[in-house]
Amino acid sequence: MANKSIDTIKYGLLRIIDVSGFTIFDPVVRLLFGEEPAKQTSKILKYIVIPTIFLFVCIWLWASIAPTHKTKSGQVPTPSQVIETVETNYRQYEREQEKKTAFLTTGSERDAQIKAAKERLKSLEEESKAAQSELTKVEESSLTEIENNLAPFKKEIEAIAAKLKTLTSSAKTEQTALADAIAAGTAKPETLIQAIADFETQKEALTEKRSELNKQLTEAREDPDALKAARLRANAVANEIQHTNSVIDHYEKKNREYQVNELMTKADAAAALASSSKDPKDILKAAKDQVRNTKKIEDVQEREYAPTSTVFWHQIKRSIFTVFVGFVIAAVIAIPIGMMCGLNRIAMACFTPIISIFKPVSPVVWLLIFQIIVGAFFPDPENHPLFVLSSTLPFIQDLGVNPAMVFSACTVAMCAVWPALVNTALAVSSIEQDHLNVARVLKLGFFDRLFKIIIPSSLPLVFAGLRISLGVGWMVLIAAEALSSSDGLGKFVWDEYQNGSSFSFANIIMACFIVGIIGFFLDRLMICLQRLVSFDEDGATV
Amino acid sequence: MSQQKFVEIYNLIKEYPNPFGEDFRVVDGFNLNIQKGEFVSLIGHSGCGKSTVLTMLAGLNEISDGGIIVGPKEISGPGPDRAVVFQAPCLMPWMTAYQNVQLGVNNVYPHASKKERQQIIEYALSAVGLKESMKKYPRELSGGMQQRVGIARAIALRPSVLLLDEPFGRLDSLTRMELQDVLIEIIDREKLTAVLVSHDVDESVFMSDRVVMMTNGPKAKVGEILEIDFERPRNREVIFKDPAFFEFREHLLAFLEQRAHLRGDIRVHSRGNTVGYSTDAVTDSEAAMVAH
Repeated sequence: MANKSIDTIKYGLLRIIDVSGFTIFDPVVRLLFGEEPAKQTSKILKYIVIPTIFLFVCIWLWASIAPTHKTKSGQVPTPSQVIETVETNYRQYEREQEKKTAFLTTGSERDAQIKAAKERLKSLEEESKAAQSELTKVEESSLTEIENNLAPFKKEIEAIAAKLKTLTSSAKTEQTALADAIAAGTAKPETLIQAIADFETQKEALTEKRSELNKQLTEAREDPDALKAARLRANAVANEIQHTNSVIDHYEKKNREYQVNELMTKADAAAALASSSKDPKDILKAAKDQVRNTKKIEDVQEREYAPTSTVFWHQIKRSIFTVFVGFVIAAVIAIPIGMMCGLNRIAMACFTPIISIFKPVSPVVWLLIFQIIVGAFFPDPENHPLFVLSSTLPFIQDLGVNPAMVFSACTVAMCAVWPALVNTALAVSSIEQDHLNVARVLKLGFFDRLFKIIIPSSLPLVFAGLRISLGVGWMVLIAAEALSSSDGLGKFVWDEYQNGSSFSFANIIMACFIVGIIGFFLDRLMICLQRLVSFDEDGATV
Repeated sequence: MSQQKFVEIYNLIKEYPNPFGEDFRVVDGFNLNIQKGEFVSLIGHSGCGKSTVLTMLAGLNEISDGGIIVGPKEISGPGPDRAVVFQAPCLMPWMTAYQNVQLGVNNVYPHASKKERQQIIEYALSAVGLKESMKKYPRELSGGMQQRVGIARAIALRPSVLLLDEPFGRLDSLTRMELQDVLIEIIDREKLTAVLVSHDVDESVFMSDRVVMMTNGPKAKVGEILEIDFERPRNREVIFKDPAFFEFREHLLAFLEQRAHLRGDIRVHSRGNTVGYSTDAVTDSEAAMVAH
């Protein structure tokens, strides 16, 4: 019995691996269950260990080549720098979360938190002081170090300058003398020309050497590593202090409960003033104020924390949401039209020119067209029902649906529609004639034929098309976001490119990996779906 | 053949357009009458047009000229009254055996209650011996079992004529015999009218009341007809030992080997009036008579 249940687990796991497409881990599972260890080990070695080594070789190549290429926006980041930016970006996300909890905390919990945060701030300030004094020390010592490093170069450069000076003056006298001699007829003109040429080559050689030395001087002037590290440390502490201050701010002045209380005391004071006053003007004003204050208090009570956009997870979530909206629009358009084209030659003939002409159009063009056409529907986005509705739905309200997102989604849909459409048409038109003959003999009605024969038999190919569509959509989305400034991974990359801080390049590389990894998982998801609907495979009934 | 006709095929012609000359006639003037409850086999060389005749009878293939009457009226297009068992099982891979049979039943018995339909489907499936495998998908069934589902789907429709288009052509010989026995049992019990296209001589002799031999195509037509008068219900053991079986078999082989290319009046042969290998080859006079 025990054996049987273990087998069930084993084959269940293998089935999951098979359906999800990670067949590469198949031998690992089999090895864990002790099936033919020698064979599995050799498989693991061949298909897991060697590829992993290859990957590490690639990363090592990247790490060693990257620093040798200097660009306008700094050095090409190494893998470790990219990992560092991932951490930085994730830290940003955590900080936003901290501020959000601070904003929402209420009652005695808030007081306790303020106390804790202030203590933290105190210790941080001490740390900062230490870091600052360390920094000044390092700065001083490194200043002399740098001077020492520079001294020999400076000396040499001065020597060359002196040499140049003497060379120029001596050449001048020599040349005038020669010119005089030529005029007098005692020398040939060729000697003068020769002398000038010689002088020029000597001068050129010296200038070249000088510029070479200058270059070395600039390099030598660069801060030593110890100084850089000290600066980074000091910066990090300063950064943390700033953040803690901001958190405290969110516990205190910016806290929601605090703001509400503030407004309430103000309103109470106004009410008290009004009740004690006898002047009708004052009474009128007080009554108006009261109404205004209640409204204000209500507003503040409903206010949500407005986070700054971070890559983790806000921009990633938004990108994924946008691509799915676009993909669903594409599928809803492509599948029925594709079926129509597959079923009817006239429909096919009607749509073929449209498909052939619009399929190759660049997403950038579509984006601009949608910005104009769809943009006309949102003259006043703040009050448009679509955006008002989306700001009340759970989950979606955090994403901040805006016209830019709609344009991006439309662009995704426009570009993703074609593979799905073409594949659906192909799937429907290539249904086995035998199956259609059966339908004819059984005299199935149109809907029976559609739902019992045509759709099930075309599903695998339709899903293959949808898979391509999602891949295309994801690629298009990043470009569309960059261009339409719809908050997301594409915009992140574009902003980093425009921003040009020392982390920008590493951030772009990080985004490249995030986009790639998410794209990979989207593809896997579609493969799973495709395998679940395909009846040829054993996975059909899973 | 003076008895009442149930199926009448009259001067059936199938032409395919040929853009570079005369239209290409595959079948030219095929005449055949079938009585109710009769089992007729069409036999002939590959490509002689026997399947074309059957698909025209099924309504799956357009009729160029001539006509086919089944029961009271002329056919136009396919219909469940002429259920077909195809060479490939043609099951929907996304449906269970039960659902595959149900596909047609729902359509043919629109007024039957759910219970009645279920009974029909279950009866058809148990008739072909698949009572235990109703919930299985085609991929879980062997080729022979899949073809059994194909047969069940056809007989569940209670067709006026059952059309069998080389139904056992893709099966190994053991499975083929098994399925022939299954089919003959059903046909004998239900007294179904059936048309079988086959190029297996033993199969046609064993199963049919009449074997229609077709001349070679193009312009194929009925060459000879052999009447086979074994008792029904038929039993493989008995028939395969009967000397007449060999006589019929020899006659058919002789036709296929020697006379299939000849054209002339349709001759009807029956027991004692057959032409086998041993008797003689084609006589000169016969050849002269049918010279075209």
